[in-house]
Amino acid sequence: MFAAVYAARGSSFETLLGVARDFSPRIETCGPYEVVLDLAGLTRLFGDAKTIADELRRTAADRGLRIRIAIAATRTAARLLARDRAGITIVEPGDEARALDNLRLELLEIFTAPPEPPEPPDPGSRIPDPVTVTLRRWGLRTLGDLAALPAAELAARLGQTGVGWQRLARGEDPAPLVPSVPEERFEQALDLEWPIEGLEPLSFVLARLMEPLSAHLERRDRGAAVLHVRLHLVKRDGVTREVHERSLQLPAPMRDARTLRTLALLDLESHPPSAAIDRVVVAVDPTPGRVVQFSLLTRPLPSPEQVSTLMARLTALMGEGRCGSAITVDSWEPGAFEMKPFLGSIANSGRIPNPESRTPRLAIRRFRFPIPARVRVDLGIPVRVTSDRRGISGGKVETYAGPWRTSGGWWVEDTKTYWERDEWDVTLSDGATYRIFRERDTDAWFVEGVVD
Amino acid sequence: MANQALARLENALRDRKLDRTLTTALPASQPRDDAAAIATDMAALDACLRGGLPRGQLSEIVGSASSGRTTLVLQTIAASTRRGEIAALVDTFDRLDVASAAAAGIDLQRLLWVRGPSISIGGAAGGPDAAIHRALKAVNLVLQAGGFSCVVLDLADVPPVTLRRIPFTTWLRVQRVIEGSETACVLIAPHPLARSAGGLTLSLAGRVWWTGEADRSRHLTGADIGIRIVSPRRRVDGEVSVPAFATTTA
Repeated sequence: MFAAVYAARGSSFETLLGVARDFSPRIETCGPYEVVLDLAGLTRLFGDAKTIADELRRTAADRGLRIRIAIAATRTAARLLARDRAGITIVEPGDEARALDNLRLELLEIFTAPPEPPEPPDPGSRIPDPVTVTLRRWGLRTLGDLAALPAAELAARLGQTGVGWQRLARGEDPAPLVPSVPEERFEQALDLEWPIEGLEPLSFVLARLMEPLSAHLERRDRGAAVLHVRLHLVKRDGVTREVHERSLQLPAPMRDARTLRTLALLDLESHPPSAAIDRVVVAVDPTPGRVVQFSLLTRPLPSPEQVSTLMARLTALMGEGRCGSAITVDSWEPGAFEMKPFLGSIANSGRIPNPESRTPRLAIRRFRFPIPARVRVDLGIPVRVTSDRRGISGGKVETYAGPWRTSGGWWVEDTKTYWERDEWDVTLSDGATYRIFRERDTDAWFVEGVVD
Repeated sequence: MANQALARLENALRDRKLDRTLTTALPASQPRDDAAAIATDMAALDACLRGGLPRGQLSEIVGSASSGRTTLVLQTIAASTRRGEIAALVDTFDRLDVASAAAAGIDLQRLLWVRGPSISIGGAAGGPDAAIHRALKAVNLVLQAGGFSCVVLDLADVPPVTLRRIPFTTWLRVQRVIEGSETACVLIAPHPLARSAGGLTLSLAGRVWWTGEADRSRHLTGADIGIRIVSPRRRVDGEVSVPAFATTTA
């Protein structure tokens, strides 16, 4: 026996699901307001079908839900009846066809239409199913009319679709019930008898938590998209408690326990907890696992796990934002760029290489902070450049080109983004070619970079 | 007598696992072995290098400022990313100009850029020693991770005094890490440092071109990069000149 439960529009699906799960572990969700319960074996727990229906309705009412319930031997019959009749409907086994006999033909569209939207559709805007239109044109009005048609004739005219609709009209199930599996939580926690301090003992705790978590992910063919580490801290006074929480966005789904532990530890090295830890919780946001097809023809690239570990180690060494991939930005500001995470093998730029890019281009070595310089100017032309900074010997200007005036950022109130300057390329007597510029508002000279 | 002394010396080096400094320990280089080298995509240079910079070896690009070291390195990285490989640049003093890298044709998504402190020459917090120490650590991490076709360590702006303080064993260690791997490690420096037996040393000298006689119309057009290959052990000595063009003068 199956019970179809159809809740009023606007009801909470979570609540409906909660009510259904309280009665049966085998439930199938059929839309935002409808679930079907497998009642097999429940009679011994609750009583007959009527008692189960009453109990269901009472439980739902307690949780603020208004529901319709139909119990029948097939899911199809139960669903059709729940849609058509308010309250509780119970059909004895074998009586489905008669119970469905007078139901409107359009009800069958619940099996073909997409799940109902939260807002009720405008009745005028509803587009009827083409099969319903055809059946209506034939003069059929009820499910009984369709059920009574000869199956062979129906198949000749509408094919398997027609036969399928007729089976539904007779209350037959097209497929067995597919139970909805409750959403799993991928989380592991460990309460410690004695608070621990430092990352070394924590690494053992993390290893113990990560291994079952990784096995769980593997069983479900899932990978971690985000790794959450929650450390419950206890202050020295033994009373004050706080939670130190870190979340790591992983560049690709991964479930290798060692990699996850290393990433968590490297992140905690940069953001250490402020007190001793007495409870460790590790959770992941699951995502479908990665399907990787290796190639015999291309060189192997590091896996996302290796890249993530490398990036975490490099970030711990060099600092936040000092490692990654550079991206050019749409700006005339000299030296403008942005950083983004390096993705390695999963990077797919979709770039079409420019054939001209094979021609060697002169590069500049840019001083991120331009170096102040002393420039002697004769008739508006730099003739000698010197700097106190080691590495720039300076000297007489042998050849020059310029000036090129650039300005920008004047439309932004922040003065840091404003620039207005005259740029020169100069070859000095030391043999090096530099790009220098004069700030027009301060008349100060700087070395921006070396042509190399 | 001299041969016996030489044999004794070689045996002693082998005992201490320092035989990578011996020419006799090196496998003979195959002419135009593309799988054993990363091409720079500069035909004249690749022909001279018999395919490119050797994989699994530490090579050096040395020269003074404006000799074309950065241009050559960016071209090599660009060639590598064009082949779908990934590369890394450990930029000791954060000198990479992203626009130059993009103009060289580098697929920036395939370049791991490790930026050292953005300090001016000689003005490092903690001194350049700290920056170099971290850069060397970063290179080791990248090499140990594996999978990169080209890993570049940029020491071009490090003061000579500081460079001299780097122990020679540092380069032996780097050589050990990449031995047998598919990675070509490249060092940019003002003068040869590693002198790896298996790697190449490209000594550069650049000469820029200017166009326009009149003061106001003159501009930087490009440069001739003279490359001298110094590697007695692999016997690929040669000289080649490669033109490079300024970005604005397509």
